Amino acid sequence: MKQFNVLIVDDEDEFRDLTIKRLTKKGLIVEGAESGRKALDIIKTGRIDVVVLDVKMPGMDGIETLGHIRALQPLVEVVLLTGHASVESGIEGMKLGAFDYLMKPIELEPLLEKLNDAYEKKRLHEEKIEQAMIKKHMAMPS
Amino acid sequence: MRRIVSFLKSKLVRAPAPPPAVPPEGDLRAAFRKRYAHFRSLLTANNNTLQAMADLEQVFYSGQSYRMAVIRSKITTILVNVYKMIRDLIAMGDGKYQELIPVFERISSKLELIVDRKPEYQSGPMIVPLAECNSEQHHLVGDKMARLGMISRLEGISVPPGFVVSATATRHFLADHLDEINRRLQVLESDDLDGLYRTCAELREMITTAPLPGDLQELLQVHYSRLEKISQPGCRVALRSSALGEDSRGISFAGLYNTMLDADRSTLVSGYKEVIAGKYGARAIAYRRRRGYRHEDIEMCVGCMVMIDARVGGVIYTRDPANRDGDVLHVIVTSGLGKGVVDGTGDSELIRLQRRFPHVSTDNSATPSLGPSAAAASLVNEELLSRLAVAALKIEAAFGEPQDIEWALDHNDKLYILQSRPLQIDDDETGAASVEPAAAADPGEPPLIRGGVCVSRGVCCGEICRVESEQDLGTVAKGAIVVVSHPLPEWAPLLNQVAGIIAETGSEAGHLATVSREFGVPALFGVDGAMSLLTDGLQITLHADDCAVYRGRRDGLLVARPVAKDPMAGSPVQRLLTEAMQLVTPLNLTDPDAAQFKPSWCETIHDITRFCHEKSVTAMFSFGRTHHFDEGRAKRLVGEVPLEWWVVDLADGLRPGIDDDAKTLRIEDVVSVPMQAIWNGLIAYPWQGPPPVSARGFGSIIFQSTMRPEIDPSVASRLTVKNYFLVSKHFCHLSVRLGYHYALIEAYLSDLLTESYVTFRFKGGAADMGRKTLRVQLLAETLEHYGFRVELQADSLLARLKKRPADYLETRLQVLGYLILHSRQLDMIMDQVGSLERYRDKFFAEIDSMFAEAPLHALEEH
Repeated sequence: MKQFNVLIVDDEDEFRDLTIKRLTKKGLIVEGAESGRKALDIIKTGRIDVVVLDVKMPGMDGIETLGHIRALQPLVEVVLLTGHASVESGIEGMKLGAFDYLMKPIELEPLLEKLNDAYEKKRLHEEKIEQAMIKKHMAMPS
Repeated sequence: MRRIVSFLKSKLVRAPAPPPAVPPEGDLRAAFRKRYAHFRSLLTANNNTLQAMADLEQVFYSGQSYRMAVIRSKITTILVNVYKMIRDLIAMGDGKYQELIPVFERISSKLELIVDRKPEYQSGPMIVPLAECNSEQHHLVGDKMARLGMISRLEGISVPPGFVVSATATRHFLADHLDEINRRLQVLESDDLDGLYRTCAELREMITTAPLPGDLQELLQVHYSRLEKISQPGCRVALRSSALGEDSRGISFAGLYNTMLDADRSTLVSGYKEVIAGKYGARAIAYRRRRGYRHEDIEMCVGCMVMIDARVGGVIYTRDPANRDGDVLHVIVTSGLGKGVVDGTGDSELIRLQRRFPHVSTDNSATPSLGPSAAAASLVNEELLSRLAVAALKIEAAFGEPQDIEWALDHNDKLYILQSRPLQIDDDETGAASVEPAAAADPGEPPLIRGGVCVSRGVCCGEICRVESEQDLGTVAKGAIVVVSHPLPEWAPLLNQVAGIIAETGSEAGHLATVSREFGVPALFGVDGAMSLLTDGLQITLHADDCAVYRGRRDGLLVARPVAKDPMAGSPVQRLLTEAMQLVTPLNLTDPDAAQFKPSWCETIHDITRFCHEKSVTAMFSFGRTHHFDEGRAKRLVGEVPLEWWVVDLADGLRPGIDDDAKTLRIEDVVSVPMQAIWNGLIAYPWQGPPPVSARGFGSIIFQSTMRPEIDPSVASRLTVKNYFLVSKHFCHLSVRLGYHYALIEAYLSDLLTESYVTFRFKGGAADMGRKTLRVQLLAETLEHYGFRVELQADSLLARLKKRPADYLETRLQVLGYLILHSRQLDMIMDQVGSLERYRDKFFAEIDSMFAEAPLHALEEH
C-alpha cells in the first residue's frame, strides 16, 4: 500500500490516540489534532493528504473547519466523522466538498478503505493538474 | 468495494493511451473516462442508497424493535448518497439536471424536520397537590398521579395525602444536563449490556449530585410542611415515579422506575433525585428502546405521598388476566405493604372473588372449596375482602376498563389505594386451544419438570443460562432461556434478548410477569428447585402454558408457538419512521418514457435515485452523440442472439481493430471476460418464450398494470427490450429489463482476490407481492446453492460474491446469465402448487449440466 499523510482531528483523546495507533500500524503517516484551529496550523504546512474530521467539536466545529481547509488547501481530501448521525451536518459537509461521511464507531478496515479512496482521488487530481501544466509549458516553449 | 472502484477508476484513467494517433480521439477518451468515473461513483452511491432503503424497510416490517439512532443513521446515509448521485449526474450531464437540487433540498429538509422532531412539552406549576390532579393534568403530573388524583375524588375511597412534583419542575432541575444525558444515550450501542450499566451508573451519579434549584427546594419544603399538618410532624413519605408520555395501549411500563419509601424532610431532596434518576435505569432504557420510545418522549414526575402504616397490602386484578370474560376478580394478599408481591420476592396468596356482590370467594384452585387459606384469612376476613372488591369495581367503573390496583389496609383497617392502572390482558385466546392437541400429539420423553405458575404463555427452546446477579447479565446469550431465583424487575432488560424465563418464586402479579406477557416471552414462575435442576448450557423446550420443561428440542411442541406481537406498535418512534418512509420509499417515477419522468415530478428519495440512475445510463450512452462521435457508442449485438442486447465499450472490452463507429458487433468481438461468462450462461439453454400463464397469474399482472398505467403490457416501452452491457476487459456492468423485472449484474475479475467481485440485484415484476416474493425466493435458493451470499428484502434480492478466484467467478456469472433469462416472467406461474420445487430442480439440473458441457467457455475462446 502507498504511504500517505493522514491527520485525525477529534477532541476525544481516547478515540484520536487509538485511531492514530492503528493507522500507523497499517503503514500510514498519521498525526493528530484536538481542535479545528490546531488542525489548520498543521494543514498549512502542506504535508497532509487526507483529513479525518470529527463534526462535533467544541470551539470551531467540523463543518467550519472543513470550510477553512477547503480555502487553505483545496486538494486536501476530508472524510467527516460523527459520533451520532446528524442529517444536517452530513449533507452540509458533502456540499462543502467533503470526500465522504462516516459514522462512529467505525472499524479499521472501512476507514482504511475510505482513506485510500480519498488519497487516490487527491493523487489523480494532482496528476491531472501536473499534466495540464506540462501541456501548457509544451505549448509555450520558453 | 470502494477500493476496487477507485482502483478501477485509476486503472482506467491511467491506462496507457493508444499510440499517438489522432489527438482529439485521445481527448474524447479522457472525457469518456471522466464521465465513466462519475458513472461508477453514481452507481456505488445508488447501491448504498438502495441498501439503506432496504434496511429501513427491513426494520419497519420486521416486527422487531429498532432505535431512533438506526433510523437517523440510515436516513443520513440515504441523503448523503443521494446527494452524491445528484452531484455525479450533474457532472455527467455537463450541467444539466440542476433542477434536482431544489427538489432534493425540499425532501431532505422535510426529512430532517421529521427525524429531529422534538416532543411538545407543556408547562405549568412545579408542584400540584394530589387532590387537585385530574386527567387534564396528566401532561403535567404524569399518568399515574393524574389517575390517583381522580381516584381520590371517588366517594368512599381514600388515597394517602400528597403532592406531585411536576414535569415542569423536572425540566427546571435538569435544564443544564439534558443535552449531555441525551448525547450519552445516543452513542450507546443497543446490545452492549456492560456499556448500558456503566452509562446508567454515570447518569445516576450526574443527576443525584446535581444541585436542586433554590426555588424548587423551597417549594418542596413548603409542601412537605403542609403534609405534616395534615398527618403528623415528621411524617414519612413515599416518593413514587409518575412518568408522562407513556400513552400507548397495551404498554405497561411496569416496575421500571424507582420508588423511595420512608423519606422525611431530611431525605426528601435526595429521594426526589433518585426517583428522577430512575428514568435512566437500565430497565427503563432497555424497555423504551424495545417499545420505540425516545428518551425525550418520556418525562418523569414524582409523587410524594404520606406513608401508610400498613397491616396488610397487595394487588387486585378486577378481572382474571387469563380469562377476561370470567366472573372473577383476583386479590393478592401479603402482610405489610404490597411491595413483595410486585417485585416477586414476598410470600403472597391469591384469593379469587366473584365480581358479583357480595363478592364471596370462588373455589380456590389450590384448596378447592375451602376458600382462602387459614393464613390469608387471618390477614383479611370476608368483610374486608368484600370492601376491597367494592372499591376496586368502583375504580374500574370510573376508568371504564379492568384495573390492576395496589392497595393497603392500615392498622384500623382503613383502605388506601396506592396506585391503579389498566390491567394487561392476554389477548391471545386461541393460544391455549391450539397448543393442547400438539402437546398431546407429541409422544416421547416426559417432562423434566412439571409445575409452577404460567405467568406468560408460549413455547420456546433454548439453552439454559442461570443468572444470579447483575454481573451475569453480560453473559446471557441471545435466545437463551434464563433461570433466576426471584423474578426481580431488575431482570427486565433481559427480555429483549431471551427466548424464555423461569423463576423459582413469584406469581402472575409481579412486574417481571407483566413485562414478560407484554413482550410475549414465555415465562414459568414458582418452579421449585429450578436453579439446581437446570444447569447452564442444557438445551430445553419450555412449554409455559403446560407448566412443563422438556429436555432438548421438541419440535412437536414448538409448532404451536404463537406469532409474536409487534413491540413497537403505536410508539412515537414507529409513527416517526412511518412518516419518514413516506418521503423515502414510494416510487412514482416508473416509466422513463413517460412525460412525468423529470425532476419536478420527484416526490420521494426513491424517485430521485430512479431518475438519477436512468439519466446516468442515458448520459453514458448518449456520450457518443453529445461528443460528436459519428454514432453512439452503444453497439447492437447481432447474430444468433435472443432478445436485444447493446454493448458499450468503456476501455479494452472489445477485440482490437473494432471500428469505433460500427453500429453492430458480434459476440466474438467481445473480449470482456465477465461479459463472455454471462453470455455463455444466457445462451446455454434456449428460452422457450413466456411459459403458459394460469388465469390467476395473468389477472394479477393485469391488475398491477391497471394500478400503474404506464406499464400497460400492450405498450412495450423502449427500455423494456433494451439491455446494456458496459464492458472493459475485466469489468462488466449489465442492466437488464426483461418484462417488468429489473436485474443488474456487475463484476470485476482481477488476479488479485481482494479486488474481484460479482454482485447481482434483482427487483420488481408486475405480479402481486406474493408471487414476486416466491420468485425471488426461488432465485435466492438457487444462488445460495451456488455459493452466493444472498440478502432478501420483500421482492428485492441482492447476491454477492467477493474475494474468489476469477475462474470461479466466471462460472458464477454463467449462473447469473442463465437465471436472468430463465426467471423471466416466472412469477406468472409461480402460484401453482409445487412450482417452486419444480423450477428449482430444473434450474439445478440445467446449470450443472451447463458446467459439465462447457466449462469456462470464455477462457477457451481467448
